[in-house]
Amino acid sequence: MSIIVAKNIHRKFGKDKLITHVLKGIDISIEEGEFVAIMGKSGAGKSTLMYQLSVLDEPTEGTVEIDGTEVVDLNEREKTEFRLNTLGYVFQDYALVPDLSAEENVMIPLLMKGMPWEEAKLQAKKSIDEVGMVGKYPNLPSELSGGEQQRVAIARAIAGKPKILFADEPTANLDTVSGTQVVDLITSLNKNHGQTVVMVTHEREYAMGCNRIIHMEDGLVTNIEYLGRFGRGE
Amino acid sequence: MRALRIGLLLGFRQIQRANFWTTSLIIFVMMLTFLNLIAVSGILVGLIAGAEVAVREYATGDIIISAKDDEDRILDTQTFIRELESFPEITAYSVRYDGGGTLEANYKERRDLTGERDTAAVTVTGIDPIMEDEMTHLSELVVDGEYLSPDDEGKMLIGVYFLAEYAENFGDVFDTVENVKPGSIVRLSVGNISKEFEVKGIVESKVDEVNFTTFIPEREFRRLFNRLDRNADQIVVRVVDPDRNAEIKEALINSGLDDFAKIRTYEENVPKFLTDIKNTFDLLGTFIGSIGIIVASITIFIIIFINALSRKRHIGILKGIGIDRHVIEVAYVIQAAFYAVTGSLLGALVTYGFLIGYFDRNPISFPFSDGIMVADPYSTFIKFVVLFIITLIAGFIPAWIIVKQNTLNSILGRK
Ligand SMILES: Nc1ncnc2c1ncn2[C@@H]1O[C@H](COP(=O)(O)OP(=O)(O)O)[C@@H](O)[C@H]1O
Ligand SMILES: [Mg+2]
Repeated sequence: MSIIVAKNIHRKFGKDKLITHVLKGIDISIEEGEFVAIMGKSGAGKSTLMYQLSVLDEPTEGTVEIDGTEVVDLNEREKTEFRLNTLGYVFQDYALVPDLSAEENVMIPLLMKGMPWEEAKLQAKKSIDEVGMVGKYPNLPSELSGGEQQRVAIARAIAGKPKILFADEPTANLDTVSGTQVVDLITSLNKNHGQTVVMVTHEREYAMGCNRIIHMEDGLVTNIEYLGRFGRGE
Repeated sequence: MRALRIGLLLGFRQIQRANFWTTSLIIFVMMLTFLNLIAVSGILVGLIAGAEVAVREYATGDIIISAKDDEDRILDTQTFIRELESFPEITAYSVRYDGGGTLEANYKERRDLTGERDTAAVTVTGIDPIMEDEMTHLSELVVDGEYLSPDDEGKMLIGVYFLAEYAENFGDVFDTVENVKPGSIVRLSVGNISKEFEVKGIVESKVDEVNFTTFIPEREFRRLFNRLDRNADQIVVRVVDPDRNAEIKEALINSGLDDFAKIRTYEENVPKFLTDIKNTFDLLGTFIGSIGIIVASITIFIIIFINALSRKRHIGILKGIGIDRHVIEVAYVIQAAFYAVTGSLLGALVTYGFLIGYFDRNPISFPFSDGIMVADPYSTFIKFVVLFIITLIAGFIPAWIIVKQNTLNSILGRK
C-alpha cells in the first residue's frame, strides 16, 4: 500500500520573466515500510522535492496524498498538526533547540501531542536510549558532538512514532564516522521497526541500505534503482 | 493550555540560559522604568503632601474650629472649651485670637519727625504660649531669640516675613520693618490704642501662616483689641488618631457644639487649589512615567525582536516538526513578562523598602514644604498592571512578526 502518492509535481519560484522552474513534473509513490533514497547533483531539486513530499512546501502544480490525506488542501494549522502527528524530520543542522536539554528537545513534540509530562519524559528517554545515547538526557546540544546532536534529532523525530521519517542530507555536516553511524541508525530503524524513510543523500554508500534510489537531474526523475525487497520482481 | 505549558518550558529555559549580565541589564531597565513611573509622581505629589503634613503639624491640627459663617467669633468660647476638654480623644488644642494692627519700629532713633515712619501692617495672633506650643510646637520654629513664657508681659514673637532682612530674599514684596531683632522695641497700634512690645523671638516656618503673623499672649491681645467677651476666632485641635478625625468631628457635632462654631476636619479645610495642584502633579508624574513606559516597551520590543530573529531558524524548525505558533509566541511573551515582573518587584522593593522611608527621614527641602514621597499601594499596583500589559504586548508583537513567517523560509534562512 502506497503511503505517499505524488502526482505531476511542479514547483516554480519567482514570477514573470524571473521564473525558475525547479521541479518539472514528478510522479512518485512510496510504500509503507520502504526506505527510499533521493540522489542527484547539487541543485537537482532533491530538497525541493522532499519539502513537497513532507508538507513543508506547496507544489505550484500537482497533488500529494499522504496516508490517505490530500495534504495540498490543508490550511496552515492543519498542516502543522499533520506534520506533528504523521511525519518526522531530521534536518541538516541547527535542528535542536539550544536552550533545552536532549531530553526536553525530544519531549517537546510529545507534549505538543498532548502526552502528559511524566509519560513524555519516559518516552523521550526511551527514544534517546534507542539512538544509542543512554544517559545523555540532561546534556545541552552544545555539550554534544555533531553526530550526537543528529542522533538526538533522530530520537526527537521517531519518539512520536511517525508514519514517515524524512531526512535531508542528515550527514552533510558530519565526519565520515559519525555520518556512517547516523545512516546506520536510520537504516536499522527501517530494517528492525519497519519505519518508512525518505532520505536525501549525496553519498552513494549511505544509500546502500535502502530499497530504492531515485536519481534526479534538473528537476526530473531520471532513473530509479531497486536494491531490496520492494524490487521490481516482487 | 498545552501551548502555555510548552511555551513556559521554552521561555524559562531561554531565560535560564541567557547571558546573566544581559538579563540583569534588561531587568535593571525595567526597574528604572517602574521607579520612574512611581517615584516621579510620588515625589511631585509628595511636595504637596509634605506641605500638607507641615500645615497639619504646625498650623491647623486635625480639627479646625472657627466662627460660624454668620458670626464673627466662636460663641461662648469658654463654655465651648470646657465641653471640648471632656473629649478624651482630644490630646491638645490651642485657642487663638486674630486681629490686625500696625507695627512701628525705630521710632526712638528717628530724629526728623517729618521723615517717613518705619511701619508695617501686621496680623496679630493672641495665644496661650503653653497650649499653643503643646499643639503646634511653635517654640521649635523660633529661629532667633526665645519663645514666649506664660507670664510674659509686653513681649512678642514676630514672623520673618515682616522683617526687611528676611523678606529681601523674597524680592521685597512684603510690608516690612527694618533692623528688628530679639530685644528690639516696637509699637503695636490697634485703632487708637498703642502698646510697646519687646521682640522676644523670631519665628520662621515652611507654613506661611506662621511667617505672616505676630504672636502675643492672649491676655494682652484681649486688652489691646478690647475683647472682653473672651470669644476666640479659632481653636485648633489635635486628636489621638489623626485618621479618626472625621469620626471625632462627628462626635463634637453630635454633642451640639456646632451651635457655637463651625467644625471642620483638616481635610475639609484644605484649600481647593492645593488639591488641584496635587492632582495636576500626579498627572504630570504619570505623564513623565508614561514616556518611561514607551521607552521600556521599545527596549523590550527590540530585545525580543533580536532574540527571535537570531533564533528564526529554530523557530522554523519547531514549526516544521509540528509545534503550534502560539507555543513559540508564548515562549517570548513569557520572557517579556519575566522582565516586567522582576523589574517591577525590584522597583517596588526599592520604593517601599527604601525610598519612602528615606524621604520620610530626609525630606527634600523645598521653600514651601519638606517633600516626602507618596506612593499608595493601589495606584502603584495599577501602574504595575499597565506596565505589565504593555510589556507583554511589546514582547508579543516581535515574536508574532517572526513566528508568522513562512516555515520553510525560516528553516532555510531565506528572506
Ligand atoms: N525559493 C527559491 N527561489 C528560487 N530558486 C530556488 C528556491 N529554492 C530552490 N531554488 C533553486 O532550485 C534548485 C534546486 O534546489 P534544491 O532543491 O535545494 O537542490 P538540491 O537539494 O538538489 O541541491 C536550485 O537551483 C536552487 O537555486
Ligand atoms: Mg538540498
